Amino acid sequence: MWDSFLLGVEMAMRWDTMAMMGVGLMLGMFVGALPGFTTVMAMAILLPLSFFLEPLIGIPFLLGVYKGGIYGGSIPAILVSMPGTGASVATTFDGPALTKKGKGRKALEMALFSSAFGDLSSDIVTIMFIGPIALIALKVGPPELMAILFLALIVIAATSSGVFVKGLLMMVVGLFLGMVGQDPIGALSRFTFDIFQFRAGVPLLPMLIGVYALPEILIAIENRATGMIKQTINSREGGPLTFEEFRSCFRTICRSTMIGTVIGVVPGIGQVVAAFMGYAAAKNASKTPEKFGKGELEGIAAAEAANNAVNGPTMVPLLTLGIPGDNITVILIGAFIAQGLRPGPQLMVEQGPLVFAILVAMVLANILFLIIGYFTIPLFAKVVTIRKSILLPLTVVFAFAGSYVPRSDPFDLLVLVGFGAFGYLVKKLSFDVTPMVMAFILGKELEYSFGQTMVLAQGNLAQYLFFERPITAAIIIGTPFLTYMLWRRSSRLRNEVAAKLSDEIPS
Amino acid sequence: MTFRKISLMFLGAALVFGLGAGSVKAEFPEKPITLILPLGAGGSHDLNARVFTSILPSYLGNAMIVKLMPGASGQTGTAAAAHAKADGYTLIFTHNYYDQLQQHVKKLPYDTNKDFVSVAQLNSNDASLIVRADSPFKTLKNLVDFAKANPGKLKFAHSGVWGAVHVPAVRLFKEAGIKVTMVPYKGGGPSMRGFLAGEADFTLQFPSGIVSQGDKVRVLASGSKGMFKGVPSFGESGYSDDLGSMRRIIMAPKGIPADRLKKIQDALVKLQGDKTYKNMIKKIGETTNFINGPDYDKLRPGQSKTYKELITSLTK
Repeated sequence: MWDSFLLGVEMAMRWDTMAMMGVGLMLGMFVGALPGFTTVMAMAILLPLSFFLEPLIGIPFLLGVYKGGIYGGSIPAILVSMPGTGASVATTFDGPALTKKGKGRKALEMALFSSAFGDLSSDIVTIMFIGPIALIALKVGPPELMAILFLALIVIAATSSGVFVKGLLMMVVGLFLGMVGQDPIGALSRFTFDIFQFRAGVPLLPMLIGVYALPEILIAIENRATGMIKQTINSREGGPLTFEEFRSCFRTICRSTMIGTVIGVVPGIGQVVAAFMGYAAAKNASKTPEKFGKGELEGIAAAEAANNAVNGPTMVPLLTLGIPGDNITVILIGAFIAQGLRPGPQLMVEQGPLVFAILVAMVLANILFLIIGYFTIPLFAKVVTIRKSILLPLTVVFAFAGSYVPRSDPFDLLVLVGFGAFGYLVKKLSFDVTPMVMAFILGKELEYSFGQTMVLAQGNLAQYLFFERPITAAIIIGTPFLTYMLWRRSSRLRNEVAAKLSDEIPS
Repeated sequence: MTFRKISLMFLGAALVFGLGAGSVKAEFPEKPITLILPLGAGGSHDLNARVFTSILPSYLGNAMIVKLMPGASGQTGTAAAAHAKADGYTLIFTHNYYDQLQQHVKKLPYDTNKDFVSVAQLNSNDASLIVRADSPFKTLKNLVDFAKANPGKLKFAHSGVWGAVHVPAVRLFKEAGIKVTMVPYKGGGPSMRGFLAGEADFTLQFPSGIVSQGDKVRVLASGSKGMFKGVPSFGESGYSDDLGSMRRIIMAPKGIPADRLKKIQDALVKLQGDKTYKNMIKKIGETTNFINGPDYDKLRPGQSKTYKELITSLTK
């Protein structure tokens, strides 16, 4: 094992590997930053290129696209409140608020450092514990997934801003929207009203852009109209992140990295859940939780470190069992196979050094990315210095283009506009759209895993869960207690904040 | 400055995504051909498409661009292809279950028989029945006998209803007269994980997935004769011969000019002799069972009949 590792390190230390990885990182970052273009699409398109390159150039190249793409997705989330995937939704809580305060560059850099740190540490943990992680990953099945998703939804409802009941209400709306389309088990149409496009469900991207980006634009226009903002320059890009700021978030980054690495063992939904759990934990541990959601650098660090820490462990089922956990690893498996490497139990035995070389390349990709990102961020941060009269229409163009590109169906534009109007309306009524979006994304997975669990239990659920799935049973029993704790904590915090506020405002 | 950045981003994306206009030629194809995949990124269809579209241009004279349109078990992409202009610039890369089975289980906004004509079968893939190495079942007969004695007790992992694993499986269960619990998973990878973790007792898998598991799994019946040494095929075990065949087919909207269809078919025929293509398709673990369009069109009514009978017998 140790010999293989050392051989792997030697194999990965090549300038051409680094160069191609750098190219991949840049490409991924630009594609990820364009709304509508997802990392998965970029990787699928670039996959044939890797067929003609040797393994230690082609695969690191794709890994570069992967990592760059995930970071790229948080750029529009921070600057114009346009999340490209569920994983960057948590980043929109504090990102745009920071941008408005003129701290856009700081936010982008915090995202870069925490992503790279989270990813790097999880990769190292993965290399050290690849065997045990593989064992756990194999054993996490539908019942465990169901329990984790259930828990995640409760945490999301508890961390939503504003009134708890309003959060729950939006969650129910999201769960309902997630049911539109074909049911996951029997593929029968539900709530489609015979509109063909809804058979595939409500499209995610137009919904995300609709509820997050469009209301921001409308409100910005409103403010201008009422003459509240008269300056021609929208805002400053702001100075770079200081070491002091990074240090103050370091505890949060470490906590989120741990959360992300643990959740990364669960295939598929890891990133979305991790980002929220990381954010919730940071908010919970903070001395000033009321600042979260209003432009707190720590919020960015929490979400970004957590969703990137998922990356290491998700590679494990692919490398050790030959089973891809999500779309991205499915594409990587294609690259492996085309190179004559068949991921599976024997890969580690037959090609140990190469597997380690790829893992080491992942670690190096993070370091390389820190350097590349550091020099490109000032360019991206300049976006906010564009005049508002140009930036707003431009954002609208990107919102429409981003919704149209994935399916090229004009119907998706209607969905975008519909959700934009809905998002604006609920924002005016002080509802938080996030529980809805999260319930929409996770609800489908929850329903699927619930259906699978029922089938697996063969009609005897209690016996199945308690005797064959003790982890699931434990989580389900623990959930009410945790909910109570979260609820008590949040109401206590609210009282404290209210007390503090009334102290400050002399009546 | 920023504008230039953004336009550069667009230009870069256009280059990367091959949106640049093709060179002007008098002959078909004058511009790149769009190949719609009614399936998601990274699946076996995607992988096959990436391989053949990267070599086909040298025989076709222009690029073929893969366009992924997943959703609603293939209906989103298929509807888009059915409604596309029949000018040869839009094709669809699908499989026999979407083409001939789905019409019997769902109300579709198109009719595959009236809306599509076959360009060719690119290849086919046969699923084999596997158990884990520690399973008590040594032969298919063992398994069938146990299932007969204990209806509903055995669990079977599949990759989705009416999919490439589910259909051959229900055909087998019907022919054998057994009842098992069907556990759905989201695709081939997750179903394999569930099977390996012991959540299901057996599953069907394609050769590439089986080979990669080495001695952890045991094949009880193979999808076609001689696929695995010393293992009988479904046909040799007393069941239908083509039980597990998933056929990857390229279709064109009906009404495509005959000369254009011929041109695409000729390019595909020439592709079969290409060394790089053969080599790569072998690497990704697929076959080169090519069938040209006219011959494949003859197979479709028979498939439809088989599926119709299967579904009537299951749902009555």
